[in-house]
Amino acid sequence: MSEPLRCRGMYDMLPAHMERFRWVEEVFRRTCLAWGYREVRTPTVEHLFLFTATGTLTPQALGRVYSFLDWDGWSGERVVLRPEGTIPTARLYVEHLSGEPLAKLFYVQNVFHFAEGEARREEWQAGVELIGDTQPLGDVELVLVAHQALSSLGLDRIGLRLSHPGLVRAVLARTGLPPEDQLSLYDGILEGDAEALARVRQRIPELGAPPELLLAEEGQGLAFLRNLRSVFLPVLPELEAPMRELEEVVAALEELGLTPTLSGALVRHYEYYTGPVFRFEVDGRLVGAGGRYDSLIGLLGGRDVPASGFALYLGEVLDLVEPPRPSEVDVVWVQTVGRRPQDVAEAFLAVRLLRERGRGAQVVLSPSQAGVPRLLLGDGRYRVALGGGQEREAASLEEALALLTQREGLP
Amino acid sequence: MIKLALPTGDLRRPLAALLERAGLRVRGYGEGSRSYRLSAEGIGPLRVRVFRERDIPIQIALGNYDVGICGLHWVEEFLSRYPGEAIVRLGGLPVGEVSLWVAAAPGQWDGLRDLAGRWGVRIVSEFPNLAEAFALAARLPAYRVVPVWGAAEAYPPEDADLALVAASDGSALARMGLVPLHRLLEGRAWVIANRHSLREKDLARLLSLLAACGLEAGGGLSLPPPLALSRVTPGRCPTERSTVRIALPDGHQQRHVLEALAEAGLQFEGYAEGERRPRSPLDGVEAKVVRPQDMPQMVALGAFDLAISGRDCLLEHLYRFPSSPVEMALDLGRGAFNVSAVVAADLPARSLGEALRYWRDQGVTTLRIASEFVSIADHYARSRHFWRYRVIPTAGASEGFVPEDAELLIEGTETGRTLVENQLKAIDVLFRSTTCVIVRRGSLEGPRGRILSTLLERLARGSVAASARM
Repeated sequence: MSEPLRCRGMYDMLPAHMERFRWVEEVFRRTCLAWGYREVRTPTVEHLFLFTATGTLTPQALGRVYSFLDWDGWSGERVVLRPEGTIPTARLYVEHLSGEPLAKLFYVQNVFHFAEGEARREEWQAGVELIGDTQPLGDVELVLVAHQALSSLGLDRIGLRLSHPGLVRAVLARTGLPPEDQLSLYDGILEGDAEALARVRQRIPELGAPPELLLAEEGQGLAFLRNLRSVFLPVLPELEAPMRELEEVVAALEELGLTPTLSGALVRHYEYYTGPVFRFEVDGRLVGAGGRYDSLIGLLGGRDVPASGFALYLGEVLDLVEPPRPSEVDVVWVQTVGRRPQDVAEAFLAVRLLRERGRGAQVVLSPSQAGVPRLLLGDGRYRVALGGGQEREAASLEEALALLTQREGLP
Repeated sequence: MIKLALPTGDLRRPLAALLERAGLRVRGYGEGSRSYRLSAEGIGPLRVRVFRERDIPIQIALGNYDVGICGLHWVEEFLSRYPGEAIVRLGGLPVGEVSLWVAAAPGQWDGLRDLAGRWGVRIVSEFPNLAEAFALAARLPAYRVVPVWGAAEAYPPEDADLALVAASDGSALARMGLVPLHRLLEGRAWVIANRHSLREKDLARLLSLLAACGLEAGGGLSLPPPLALSRVTPGRCPTERSTVRIALPDGHQQRHVLEALAEAGLQFEGYAEGERRPRSPLDGVEAKVVRPQDMPQMVALGAFDLAISGRDCLLEHLYRFPSSPVEMALDLGRGAFNVSAVVAADLPARSLGEALRYWRDQGVTTLRIASEFVSIADHYARSRHFWRYRVIPTAGASEGFVPEDAELLIEGTETGRTLVENQLKAIDVLFRSTTCVIVRRGSLEGPRGRILSTLLERLARGSVAASARM
């Protein structure tokens, strides 16, 4: 067939992929449950305005969501296929759980966004949201939950990068540029544009040390952070609050044996995050990211309550993990020679009885399935085929079942 | 064979003159020939097809045509929704200057910054994708884009907070009764090409000829700066009106409606003269002139209590939004035409079933259906259990699509003469469309309902009287 029947950018999950997916999902679920998080699931379709109003997605990202007018969308109100998991979970919290002082929630959900060509337009995210006044403990816990989930999936060489959008915000604000110019300047910095950094230098001559030390250099843990503090804080006292928040988290993580890489500029839409942000990488691939977004619940109409969370990108994770081989299920194959209704019924009865006695059992639907051990039914005879070419005749179905369920007694 | 798509409409005459000066004469183009397929002199094998401007980017993106010329605003309208499509902008020509303005009624807003954090801003436009791009860039929270077929300037301030409209300059905008808040696009007629054609096909003769017309790269989109965010607030509560608002159509339906109103003894002063807000002969009734295609949605939204539209427009709306509260209150029986399934005259099929079998036998894997009535065409294809199909939205001039660019048209046909002229034939009639009065379900109750009922009775009596005379 020249043209595929599936939609472009959409992919089937075949049995082997599903087994891998379910294993990853189960490991993630177990991890979250062990840390006291509860699972939620939000609708696939949400109002578009939730995403436009909260500013969590850039205009470019919003331009690529699957939005449409629903069947009853004559009012002109657009809906959207969930492009990410945090906003729907925050909306769920505002509408159902806002009376709770602390909500610890997790989800495994698909998200949709347009991508060119054959690139995936449907992705899966495993996410955690922590809503309530939990800082700095909450930030540390989230990093540990994500790290444990990845470790439990057998991943090693997990890289943790940490940053705080307050660092960038303080520098960009000092440039005195209008907000839109600050955004494009920041995009340039993220893309490694030397001119963007030169522009920062030019706008803040009093900075002394080159801005790339803060915005482009990376370093390890608390030591690097303290070096930055000593160089920049005298000139930019606005850095004090974000640096202090970062130090609290980094110090705790180092006590626990995790030394993050510190980076001044990490996330693209820095306006959305209000506290520490982090990314997990394995073999140079981004497998998860998160951070604190204290204004989100308020923007959605809830009371002002701090919130933070992360999402693991399952598409990336699935490529990297190797699930344990499932143990071979010992199945008894029940094959009937006859095709009369009573022959068919007897075969399914045998399967039921075998299962009731704790054996896996399946009816042979096609000759290609015929394996051993096997129960052959037909012409009123009951034969049990075992490994190694052994075959035993039984006088009744009951006796045949006994032979199959007491194998240790068989020769 | 190089394929060139040229626009109908106002651009036709200046563009024909420009092309001719550069050495390309397209026979009948500048003269306004009714034919959609034209021949050209001054260049090798060239197929020229005339489209409505807004259809040209679609045709170029699909690869049906190699090169096209249309207003930059239509190119950007298409690309802002489908940025990955295979269109390359080659340059602007010194004709067809136009700007797109985000505008409002005088006194409605002080400026763009006044929109920061405003919830539920309604933007009406013929360019819904660009309106969306504007709202996203400005970070308007919970905005609502109301797409219309035209006459967007008629909506503010009652029925929209902003209008995104095309106008040559500020004075043209003022003549529309609007004040500018932001110039979103500055453009003119642009030459565009299909990316694959540009890479693989020798278009040099045509392109050098177009370059000789004086291509320029100026103008383009100018998105607004992001405005401040704000908290989610409850939706606005519509205020209860005491007046009855009715919508009257412009365009080809206007003649039939003027007759129907005259039969009912209702004369709306200024309507025949093309005014957007004609004066009503009845106390407590306001009228506005808008496109008939936009009426069902505006009635559903409660902007109008009653509208005189067409059954085609109503069905198009209801097929798209089955839960819409709009319904037909009265069939005026005027301006009747068939909405038909139309194919090439030489297609060896007398019915839809035969045509479907023929296409299947010919290996047509995806049936292309061109139509102005996208939802009607879609509903037709679904209810007739078509195999894989694609509805190509058109802005008009659909007769030229078959057979090269579509297998099937869903088209309004009156006498069938246009079909014959374009070597087409109808193989199925979907329904017969007439001018009708539409209302919002339940609107005939209450004080305003009494006025509406009176209006409907007068229109119905007039309609009966006219029928009796005929």
